[in-house]
Amino acid sequence: MAYVNVSRDPERGFKNGYLATSVVGMGTTLVTFVKQVFGLEESNTVQWPEVEYQYSERFKGAHFLTKRPDGRVRCTACFLCATNCPAQCITIVAGESPDKGVEKFPVRFEIDILRCVFCGYCEEACPVDAIRMGPEYSMAGLAEQKWVYTKDHLLERDAVKRKVGEKQVSKKDENTKHDTVESSLPGIHAMHAGHGH
Amino acid sequence: MPVMNSPYNGRQPNEFKILTELEGVPNSRSLEVYKKHGGYAALEKVLKGGMSPDDVINLVKASGLRGRGGAGFPTGMKWGFVPKAAGEKYLITNFDEGEPGTYKDRYIAELNAHMLIEGKLIGAYAIGASKSYIYLRGEFYDEIAWCEQAIKEAYEAGYLGDNILGTGFKHHMDIYVGAGAYICGEETGLISSLEGKKGQPKLKPPFPAVKGYLGKPTIVNNVETLAAVPWIIRNGPEAYKKFGTEKSAGTKLFNISGPVVRPGCYELPLGYPLKRFIYEDCGGLIGGKKLKAVIPGGASAPVLTAAEVENMTMDYEAFAAAGTMLGSGAVIVIPEDVSMVHVLENLMHFFKDESCGQCTPCREGTGWLLKMSRDIVNGDGAPGDAEKIAEVAGKMMGRTICTFSDAAAGPARSIPQKFAHEFLEFYKTKQSTARAHG
Amino acid sequence: MSNEVTLSINNQSVSVPAGSTIMEAAQKLGVTVPHFCWHPGLSIAGVCRFCMVKVEGMPKLQIACNTPATEGMKVDTVSAEVKDAHKWALEFHLINHPLDCPICDQAGECELQNYYMKVGKYQSQMEDEKVLKPKALDVGDTLVLDTERCILCSRCVRFEDEVTKTSTLGIFSRGDQATIGTYKDRKIKHNYSYNLADICPVGAFTAKDFRFKCRVWFLKESKTVCPGCSTGCNVNLFQNSNQREYYRLKPRHNADVNGYWMCDTGRTMYEHLNASHRISAPRLEGSQVASQAALQALADAVAGLQPEQISVVFTAQFTNEEYSAALASLKKMKGSLPKVFVWRDEAEKADDFDGILFRGDRNPNTRGMMDVFKEHGVTPVLLKEDFSSLASSGSELTLVFGPEVESAYPNLPKALGRFVELKKVVYFGNTLNELAGKMWLRIPVKVFAEKNGTFVNFKGVAQKLKANAPVFPAVKGVDEYFVELGQLAQSAV
Repeated sequence: MAYVNVSRDPERGFKNGYLATSVVGMGTTLVTFVKQVFGLEESNTVQWPEVEYQYSERFKGAHFLTKRPDGRVRCTACFLCATNCPAQCITIVAGESPDKGVEKFPVRFEIDILRCVFCGYCEEACPVDAIRMGPEYSMAGLAEQKWVYTKDHLLERDAVKRKVGEKQVSKKDENTKHDTVESSLPGIHAMHAGHGH
Repeated sequence: MPVMNSPYNGRQPNEFKILTELEGVPNSRSLEVYKKHGGYAALEKVLKGGMSPDDVINLVKASGLRGRGGAGFPTGMKWGFVPKAAGEKYLITNFDEGEPGTYKDRYIAELNAHMLIEGKLIGAYAIGASKSYIYLRGEFYDEIAWCEQAIKEAYEAGYLGDNILGTGFKHHMDIYVGAGAYICGEETGLISSLEGKKGQPKLKPPFPAVKGYLGKPTIVNNVETLAAVPWIIRNGPEAYKKFGTEKSAGTKLFNISGPVVRPGCYELPLGYPLKRFIYEDCGGLIGGKKLKAVIPGGASAPVLTAAEVENMTMDYEAFAAAGTMLGSGAVIVIPEDVSMVHVLENLMHFFKDESCGQCTPCREGTGWLLKMSRDIVNGDGAPGDAEKIAEVAGKMMGRTICTFSDAAAGPARSIPQKFAHEFLEFYKTKQSTARAHG
Repeated sequence: MSNEVTLSINNQSVSVPAGSTIMEAAQKLGVTVPHFCWHPGLSIAGVCRFCMVKVEGMPKLQIACNTPATEGMKVDTVSAEVKDAHKWALEFHLINHPLDCPICDQAGECELQNYYMKVGKYQSQMEDEKVLKPKALDVGDTLVLDTERCILCSRCVRFEDEVTKTSTLGIFSRGDQATIGTYKDRKIKHNYSYNLADICPVGAFTAKDFRFKCRVWFLKESKTVCPGCSTGCNVNLFQNSNQREYYRLKPRHNADVNGYWMCDTGRTMYEHLNASHRISAPRLEGSQVASQAALQALADAVAGLQPEQISVVFTAQFTNEEYSAALASLKKMKGSLPKVFVWRDEAEKADDFDGILFRGDRNPNTRGMMDVFKEHGVTPVLLKEDFSSLASSGSELTLVFGPEVESAYPNLPKALGRFVELKKVVYFGNTLNELAGKMWLRIPVKVFAEKNGTFVNFKGVAQKLKANAPVFPAVKGVDEYFVELGQLAQSAV
């Protein structure tokens, strides 16, 4: 029968001693320090904020809004993210979109980032891939700073452009009105041709 | 002119001539010629011979005459549904003849529209209607003119008016021209159209015999049904019953189309063998092609395979037993080189165009059936598609106001079921070697 | 009983009047038979083919909405065959539906969504392209029409034909191209247009005044009575309780009062309830004061006067309880009642009636007010075009209870101008109004949605109002103010 030897370490007294372990620890630190000073070993420490740590692409940091290929906001103001948000930090005011094919778009889209718990439910709820959580993680700031992210901030801020770039344009298929469908009753009577918004 | 050249049960072809008696007679559409052949004698017998409306209904019941429009409902019984109470009643003739492959009613008008007028007058007398309409399809320019001419002649000769033949029977007749929708050939759709509304079938109950045109009791009869009535009155119900089978009495006009040597309109007794009709009367298929399938009663009748045609007789019972129907008597012959996939797509196109759009299963279903069958034709088919078509069609059956949905589902169920192997082959080759005739 | 038939639905027995349909019997029993085109206030169309039920002895499934109930009939609505029929009927409805729920205002109260959850097929077999139809059509001042979402149940067409008799709408084309639309050169122009958005089971007709404003699942509904005219339609009032914002009214069925409908004028009765239209604090001689100070000022003013030096001007827009409390309190304070006037708008034609619901008397409680006056032995003087009786009364203090719904008083500014000329006016009102602000004292009051009370409609039907949480918690109702006033007067003695 195999067994594991759990008998006392004969050097226990020496290792347990506070001073002794400190000396050992300092030794390790010193060796590493010397190695790194002379370039014999690479450092694991990131020199933030001069150097930024690269998280996985799937890291869920601060939100941003995606765009259509033509550069306009993808969100259709369906309120599903706001409905799903456990922290109730999303405020949307919907309006008539200038794009007839979309009909509805957010006039205002605001996230109170101090209330946000970064659960990602908004992303999950979105039927049109309009809201995503991005690679931004360093959100420290001052009290007087604006902590409510506005639509412009969510859509256009430099950090997103820099880090997400082309990926901000979502090419997901969605249910917009077909090009050939006009806001009129074709073939029934031409009277309505001038209607719409 | 079609030729009756085949003996049947030992009788000569001209013995079958009830509706086509004037075939080949010069100037057949005139009133004189009609009267010379016994025209309006039946009307005189009814009005002056002391027959009561009930006598007429009983006589027609005894003859076993069934509606020739498609459903085959006993005509005498239908007339009997009209409430006896006084008040306005209407008799409408369904001359909308829209079933693909059918051209029997036009043939009657082409021979002599007085047959129809006389039959209508007798029917009107039986149900107590003082006003009747002929609902004509908009494209039937000649037939409209012939019917108008015949009505004019009848008025002049005193067969129509306030005091017909001096008996005090009052009846007026008018023509209404529809705009050519298939659904306006459906009884209640026709009534809607006649009322000036969109041609859409009405909910039943109430039935038209109780509450029809303008809310009054209304009977809608097919042209061929009414045209047979004068002959039955003249010769008696027994003479009529000599033709046909026990449950399908009399003769019927059959229209055959497809690649047969002699297509046309034939008057045949019911119960006539289908194979004999195609191969003897019509001379078989052009170029000796093999028969693949037959649609026996217009586009809405489920298809019969060549094997089923072998021992089939053309009557209500035999067709019903084979899961199809006599319908309007339009026999469409499909030869071996036509792909059933194309046939299906062609039929579905027709039904998608003609659905009135009222009931959801039919409105959405017919469009869906067309899209699915078109996908197969375009080479996007995969095993299971034909079954899906049959399944969707099955869910449309019996779920709508009128039977249009069932009519569309008929071929959509029967073709994929009976010709499943052709569909499988079609998916594989993506393009069948055969092309539809359009 | 000879005029009743008894049938059984899912083995539960129910008796209904002869001539009823299976659908009506099922409704009575509380059995849900899914339906789109059937609406109890309209004729039967029988086109959606959704309400399929199995009737014993009939080979095919029957539609519940048009099949007459007969004695001993056995109906089944839950068997596998019926469920399959419901699934497929819904599938047929959905195959060409655009499913643009995210931008559809109906989402959340859409019958398609509800039935999809209850009886849906879940796995659609539709793989082909959908039929495309015109969207976002402007069909009138109040409605937007999306023909793609339409399921062609024809409820709207029947409503226009049968209820308003305007016949603006029709279904054009046939087959799956069938499209709902207005006739050429016609727009939906009548006072009942929002009912079309209500009866539309999907999002084909949506209301312009609610368009994109709020998702319906944020709204809470409360039952109340419309204050728009003397008909007193029963309504549901929708409020986003988080924002304390009212968004709309919808009719609630009451066979004795309004049936299934309400008018467009009544639909605007949410606007004056919201904070942006309201006054929140009293104003005394042009400056804002606390509620307590305002009441004290009023109590002092009343205390120094004889009853005949005070005039009270009522409008018929308050509850019975408020009239009673005001009159009783004044009587108690002064020993006898002051002079009472009733103010009605100059342009009012009280006996007008549009033949459906809307009445010329735009006050919800004329009848109740007169009843209360009779109880207190008051014979009011009418103020309509002529205000001379009030001006010549020589009152030192005039209490004016202004209309809650100011839109019902088109000549309001003119009348307020006349009040301003009087000596000392106390104006009880709820709406931001410059002229009312010029009065000596202006006191904000509760609106109908915030009160418990009674309105009596033109027929004499007394209907209770139930209070929602007030938009401004400090604002009280007239009855509450007068109770407090009475207490103040008592403590002064």
